[in-house]
Amino acid sequence: MNAAQRQPAEGKFEPLLQFEMEMGTFLSDWHHCDQLSTYMARMISHNRTDPVRHSNFFSSALNELLEVSFRGGSPEGRIGCALYRQGPRERVKLSFPCPPGQRQFFREAVARTRKNDAYARYLDAISTDLAPSREVILLDLAINFDAEIRLEEDEPPSITIIVDLPLEGIVS
Amino acid sequence: MSTAILSAPFQAEFDANSQEFAFAGVIRPRSVDEIAHSISALRHAIEQARGVLYINVKRLAQMNNTAFHAFSRVVLDACRTRSDIRFVVVTSSVVGWTERMFRHLGKIEPQITVEVYDSKFYPGQSFVEDTSFIPILRTQTKMTWRHERTILPRHGMRAGIHMADICCGIGDFAVLVRKEFQPARIVALDHSKASLAYARDVAANFGISDIEYTYGDASEMLLEDNQFDLVTCRHSLQIFNQPDLLLKELYRICKPGGRVYITNEKNSHCLGEPRSQSIQWTYNEVAKLFGHFEMDVELGPKSRRYLADAGFNDIRVESFMVTNLDGDPQDFADVITAWENVYAGEMAVKRGDPPEFIERFRQGFRDHIFAALHPKGYAGWPIWAASGRKPL
Ligand SMILES: C[S@@+](CC[C@H](N)C(=O)[O-])C[C@H]1O[C@@H](n2cnc3c(N)ncnc32)[C@H](O)[C@@H]1O
Repeated sequence: MNAAQRQPAEGKFEPLLQFEMEMGTFLSDWHHCDQLSTYMARMISHNRTDPVRHSNFFSSALNELLEVSFRGGSPEGRIGCALYRQGPRERVKLSFPCPPGQRQFFREAVARTRKNDAYARYLDAISTDLAPSREVILLDLAINFDAEIRLEEDEPPSITIIVDLPLEGIVS
Repeated sequence: MSTAILSAPFQAEFDANSQEFAFAGVIRPRSVDEIAHSISALRHAIEQARGVLYINVKRLAQMNNTAFHAFSRVVLDACRTRSDIRFVVVTSSVVGWTERMFRHLGKIEPQITVEVYDSKFYPGQSFVEDTSFIPILRTQTKMTWRHERTILPRHGMRAGIHMADICCGIGDFAVLVRKEFQPARIVALDHSKASLAYARDVAANFGISDIEYTYGDASEMLLEDNQFDLVTCRHSLQIFNQPDLLLKELYRICKPGGRVYITNEKNSHCLGEPRSQSIQWTYNEVAKLFGHFEMDVELGPKSRRYLADAGFNDIRVESFMVTNLDGDPQDFADVITAWENVYAGEMAVKRGDPPEFIERFRQGFRDHIFAALHPKGYAGWPIWAASGRKPL
């Protein structure tokens, strides 16, 4: 492989770690979110500048994403989560099956994380909502973790949320 | 592997005496019902509180949005019904997301302020976290290592162990230990960003990537309980104003049956010949100067008591004297120069000492150097190395 191939224009995300499981198995225990996020965060943080704190920060973000798929996913099909790295950023690619009505909802919620009023919406949600909506969780990632969030439309019923997290820069 | 953060069940408790509601651990409920008990505890705390209620999240390792929203609601609602109460949320710079997440509450309600407790949390901090402290650490470890490499195996150091060096400074000790004893894992923690940056640079230059340097407060660590076979903490109980608190944390992260190893000085016992009187006067003053900033550099011989009070058994204490005869006398002199620069040049100035005092104070260091470099001279710096075993 020559240097030009190794360095495509956008910068290449190197794969780090992934898991896949039956959605039904995933949904069988709420603690899977905590356990998977803690474990994956530790695994990928060991060679970060501050492994302990990177892992803590990363686990926080990943857990919220897994919780989103836990609450919004449907039991048929598989959930897959792959982690990548490019320089100071990690990318989370989370695919899971969700009911048809949810696709439009996710599309809108993801788009709102990039709107100018994202912060105002976030504050409003904290001060008035009884429980956090999935929209607020995506706003939380964008605001508190400087995440960039995209949606990839797969073959229904699966959707993929792609989240880039520049945590190395925030942690150290 | 396990670069572990607290994973035990969480705590949410109110201390009426300090009007403080403290969260600790991992709080990731599926629904609000799971934390209903803690929510009513927080409501109850607010009812009882007068004036200010502190909400301490220093040791909160994780909290999901479900919990964050639920607890925030209680506090925000209270702001609307109780104009007589203020809230101070105490976050830490170590758990980065807490600072980022909780600060929004202050934007919503002016009755809520968010503080970062560890920007200024012990009196000696401003000196030891400054880059000017680095030459002291660099020159000291070079001298103490000659002794400690033979002492350490008597205190639990051996190949293949999991160890943590807490208050690691510039991390040189961790690098030396790694080379000499080949532990399986080393976590090295300090609260000085300057020292850690230096440590990481050194490690990178030596191609070392397996020492886990981490920023943290040794008195409020996020590391899990019972993880390490050996926990070392060198020259630092004497720097932090609550050594018993540090020791409690060292005990907590140590495995049952593992050991905690500490080294400390008794500065007033530094000595030299010739010019012993001037030297002795200065080091007596060093002890007082540190005392002024709530640091006990006379702690060495108290190690046994501290270890016993913290619950350790099989306590071993030994002392050794770093001297000008250990190697090149200039190395010894370099330590003293580094001390003079910070102790006389910064700390005494900060205390507001008059120029005559500072001049006499400096003279003792110079005389110590004179003794060290004198062809027939002798100069010494005594250190106490002690360790205790955490009961099984
Ligand atoms: C005298 S230095 C010793 C450093 C190192 N162990 C050595 O011997 O070279 C004391 C160190 O303790 C650190 N320290 C003091 N209190 C601390 C705390 N509460 N948490 C983390 N580090 C602390 C300081 O930042 C400083 O690096």
